[in-house]
Amino acid sequence: MSRFFQGSDSSSESSSDEEELYSGDEAPKAAEAEESSSEEEEDEDEESSSDDEGGKTGANRFLKEASDEDSESDEDKVTIVKSAKDKRFDELEGTIRLIENGEKIGDWNAINDQYDKMNRQIPVLMRDLDGKPPKMYVKTVAELETTVMEAFEKQKVTPKKTNPIAQKGLNALRQKIRKNNRDYSTEIETFRKDPDDYMKEDVVEEVVAAPKKPKKSLLQNENALDAGDDGFTMVGAGGKAMVYTPESILKHLRSIVESRGRKNTDRLEQIRVMEKLFDVSVNEYQRIRVLLVLIATRFDLTPGTGSQMSQEQWKLAQQEIAKLLDILDKNRDIVVVAEGAEEWEDDEKQPTITPGELFKVPGSVVSFVERLDDELTRVLQHVDPHTAEYVERLQDEGSLYTNIVRSQLYAERLKDEPRLDGSKDNVNRVVMRRLEHVYFKPATVIAKVEDDSWKAITAKLDSTITPRAQSSDTTTLVGKLASYLFGNADGIIRARAMLCQIYYLALHDNYYKARDMMLMSHLQETIGSFDVSTQILFNRTLTQVGLCAFRAGLVYECQTALQDICGSQRQKELLAQGLQMQRYSQITLEQERLERQRQLPFHMHINLELLECVYLTCSMLLEIPTLAQAGSSPDLKKRVISKSYRRMLEYHERQIFTGPPENTRDHVMQASKALAAGEWKKAAEFITSIKIWELVQKSAEIKEMLEAQIQEEGLRTYLFTYAPFYDTLSVQTLAGMFDLSESKVTALVSKMIHHEELAAALDQVNSAIIFRKGVELSRLQSLALTLSDKASGLIESNERVLEQRTQGTANAFERQGGRGGRGGGRGGARGGARGGFRGRGGGGGGSGFTGGALGNAIRAQ
Amino acid sequence: MAEPTTASAPLKEVQIEALVVMRIIKHSTSAFPTPATGCLLGMDVADNVGTQIQVTNCFPFPAAAPDQPPSQQEQQYYQQPTDAATLAAGAPRAKSNVAYQSEMVKYLREVNVDAQSVGWYISTSMGNFVNQNFIENQFFYQKVTDEKTVALVFDVGRSSAGSLSLKAYRLSPSFMASYREGKFNTEAIQKSNLRYQDILVELPLQIHNSHLLTSFLHQLPQPPPTKNALDFPSSIVDLTHDPNISSNPLAPNLDHLDLSIDPFMEKTCDLLLDSIEAHQTEQNNAQYYQRSLAREQTKIQAWQAKRKQENQLRGQQKQPLLDENEWTKLFKLPQEPSRLESMLVGRQVEQYARQVDGFSAVVSGKMFGVRGTMLPGDIA
Repeated sequence: MSRFFQGSDSSSESSSDEEELYSGDEAPKAAEAEESSSEEEEDEDEESSSDDEGGKTGANRFLKEASDEDSESDEDKVTIVKSAKDKRFDELEGTIRLIENGEKIGDWNAINDQYDKMNRQIPVLMRDLDGKPPKMYVKTVAELETTVMEAFEKQKVTPKKTNPIAQKGLNALRQKIRKNNRDYSTEIETFRKDPDDYMKEDVVEEVVAAPKKPKKSLLQNENALDAGDDGFTMVGAGGKAMVYTPESILKHLRSIVESRGRKNTDRLEQIRVMEKLFDVSVNEYQRIRVLLVLIATRFDLTPGTGSQMSQEQWKLAQQEIAKLLDILDKNRDIVVVAEGAEEWEDDEKQPTITPGELFKVPGSVVSFVERLDDELTRVLQHVDPHTAEYVERLQDEGSLYTNIVRSQLYAERLKDEPRLDGSKDNVNRVVMRRLEHVYFKPATVIAKVEDDSWKAITAKLDSTITPRAQSSDTTTLVGKLASYLFGNADGIIRARAMLCQIYYLALHDNYYKARDMMLMSHLQETIGSFDVSTQILFNRTLTQVGLCAFRAGLVYECQTALQDICGSQRQKELLAQGLQMQRYSQITLEQERLERQRQLPFHMHINLELLECVYLTCSMLLEIPTLAQAGSSPDLKKRVISKSYRRMLEYHERQIFTGPPENTRDHVMQASKALAAGEWKKAAEFITSIKIWELVQKSAEIKEMLEAQIQEEGLRTYLFTYAPFYDTLSVQTLAGMFDLSESKVTALVSKMIHHEELAAALDQVNSAIIFRKGVELSRLQSLALTLSDKASGLIESNERVLEQRTQGTANAFERQGGRGGRGGGRGGARGGARGGFRGRGGGGGGSGFTGGALGNAIRAQ
Repeated sequence: MAEPTTASAPLKEVQIEALVVMRIIKHSTSAFPTPATGCLLGMDVADNVGTQIQVTNCFPFPAAAPDQPPSQQEQQYYQQPTDAATLAAGAPRAKSNVAYQSEMVKYLREVNVDAQSVGWYISTSMGNFVNQNFIENQFFYQKVTDEKTVALVFDVGRSSAGSLSLKAYRLSPSFMASYREGKFNTEAIQKSNLRYQDILVELPLQIHNSHLLTSFLHQLPQPPPTKNALDFPSSIVDLTHDPNISSNPLAPNLDHLDLSIDPFMEKTCDLLLDSIEAHQTEQNNAQYYQRSLAREQTKIQAWQAKRKQENQLRGQQKQPLLDENEWTKLFKLPQEPSRLESMLVGRQVEQYARQVDGFSAVVSGKMFGVRGTMLPGDIA
């Protein structure tokens, strides 16, 4: 409508108000007419479909319907059709009037627009009039031609300044008219000869034309109307509307397939055509063919990686795949296979399908399902996970899962089909997809999804790999899927299946099983050679195993499992849960795009904050005793368990003022400080007050476990830190301090003594710990040991340099002699160092030995 | 006062007034652990053997003003200790201090103090002074023609252990020549035959007291006659104190027998470890250089061989020959890392080793003494 206003605006001179009003009024009227007619049309459709909901499917219902309605409600139809037609004529009239107005004021631009509009309306009207153009149209066109010629001539003679827009419109119009009028030359001729006579005839014709209508096949009529209402028309070469008949289906399909991938093909239009083709198709073969192309075209709607499928299209595709699977299940003689099927070349003839013999159609159901899955994933990647839209789209996963299960059944059937040399590939792929939809979900969710999908599948069908009866037991389901793939697939799919199963086991607290499988798989060595998404899956699995270990209270195992992922500061990237913003990154746009594609949808994410919290807590439980044990010895740096934790701890200690903890990290750091000082209660309080534990199942148990761990580690830390100040220490006191049972304390202390972490003995009679004094290496001694190590390292590197230099020269021998002597010195140093270590047992003698070691090292230098 | 010196006479020793020593000690200990630097004034006296530097006065340098703008306050906050140290160590050659020095000398001349600059002093701890800064400072003084300057190093750490540690150093002439050229690659070092031992020359140092002071020392009042009755103890420490041992620091007492091996050795070990680490870094640099050099050389050789073949072919075809030395333009050899740092590390390690040597000599003497008192039979 804005177009109209634009048009009248541009005519700066003499457009009166009335005219403007008029042109403004006309357009909505026309639009209304169009709308109402389409509404009526829809109503009609709905009526008819509601009539036969009981069982009739596919195009059958339309065929039957045609005959039904012929008998009962012809009159209704006719009136509706007629009114639609009348409205169309009104519309045309309105357009023509606008053109005339434009002529009066010389607004060629507006005329040009209206002319285009009129030409668009014409084909429908022509169909109504048996291929003849309406009289009004011919009249307008003929008059317009003369006006345009005149105007053009006038301009040539007096080249006065005209509005450039109008000028442009005029030129365009002239060319269009010249081209267009050729088609109607005969009509225009007759009109020119005798305008009045021609117009009179029209009235008669129209009366005649109306009753003709109902005689045409209703089906065709309906299609034509649909086409008209949707604002486009299929115009054949002869200007006739296309007719969809069961016979021409294959031809249509071929033309659509051929236009695939070309530019400027209107895919939506093709889809609409195919929807109609599907409705008119008479046998199963046609339906399958139509569906195959239709689904593919739907997927073609969203090319590239930037855009996603709309929910509506996705749902339609999903339903069509379901329909396809339905048909295929009913007609077991027709199979859709990717390989070994020949294209049906003859468009005119239908293939004859003999029962009992397999007829192959090229295509791949599994690929469709995979594509469907990919599309959904892509959508989920892009939708903000905190909106209702995400949830809505996520709900589609249920139907997708049903489709996957069904296509699995189908693939299984094909595989077992003796007449096909069915490869296992399809089954593997679809089973993998199914596994990938299952492995990260909790058992209850899987059970629900399974239940729903089996309900949606007819009771006759059953799977050999995952029988219907066992669908409620999710563990066996995952196990069966994985073991099937493990037995039948190879390479990456096999590895992925393994990882999925491990992930599932870890998620459901089967730590030892998961760990054993992880170790047995030997994937750690080869994972570098797999593709990125498998590596991500590996990372996820490893993380999940770590979290599982944590839930099981195995701190050390948890820390080692999470070390690689969490210690690297690149969790997001490694788990594909968001892009890491790196300051000095050299990633190109291409790489970034790829990375974006790899991202997991939000519902698959592992909570990163929880992960960090678990990792830091484990690191704390391991690091704090180690730090206490190392004390201030120079090889302190060597025994770093978690570098990132150390860094954070250092940063925390550097702070001048530490406020109350705010985030997880603060909590853990303050707990670390308290633990290092032996205040286990405070540490436990800090740790248990972290909010994120609520996200873990059985959070109360986790907290209890953590408290117990903190008590034990607190005890160890205390002993390491304060052992030098005690001569004896009663077990009872210790037990009281750390709220542990005496037997537990005894066990812990015995363990420490056994590992030679603590120079003490247990007095079981008095139940006390007796510390031995002077056993620890003094700082000087340990420094001296480090120094001798360094010195010998220096000598070695010097010798290496010398070796390089003297290679193959005559002097080599002499120098080697010298080196032998040095080697001896070095040996002495080593011996001395060993002596120093042995000296630990002997008490004070240690210092003498180490002195010797140092002396040797220096002399050797 | 002193007759004009001949430029050729080498420096043979340094004589320093006791007052100057006291002032250096005071300045250094108050500034510890930041290194303190100051200027030495005095004159040089030449006789037929060599020149003697007489240090008669000194004044401290203020720490050089920081170069960076104060906007980076946070960074400064964290790096303050190191920054202050480097700033203080770099003070003698800082521009602001040169002006300060000349100003100061001008004023001192007015009160009739010796106004000839004879060098500078720096305080250190446990002999940790051989580094680029020290070298640059001394070079700054020594590069002037006809100079007679010396660097005094006062070791706060060791002096606090009991005995004064004050040393005088100069850069050796061969090192000066090399440093002037600024070349410390393998070739240059091989040619000049410079070793880490040759960087610094230590000069003998004498502490000189004026006759007036000596006579005063000799006339120090004798300790008062011992009383028969003991003083009432003023504190608990007095109770544990043996009244027979004089508390007068100048009189012989047990403090001299204090061993304190551990702190000294620990500190030295720490420093040694640091030095070794630095050495390893240098070594890695050198190795990296050598590897890349070798790589580059094989490339060049391959190129040369190819060019030669091509020229042979061209010679047969009577075409003009191509330049065989073009590789100098095509290939760029990697820059050899300076060996100065590793030499300094070597010198520093030597310094530590000497320190330990000296220390152990004293300590073992003491230990034998202790052993003697504990096992009288053996000795007798």
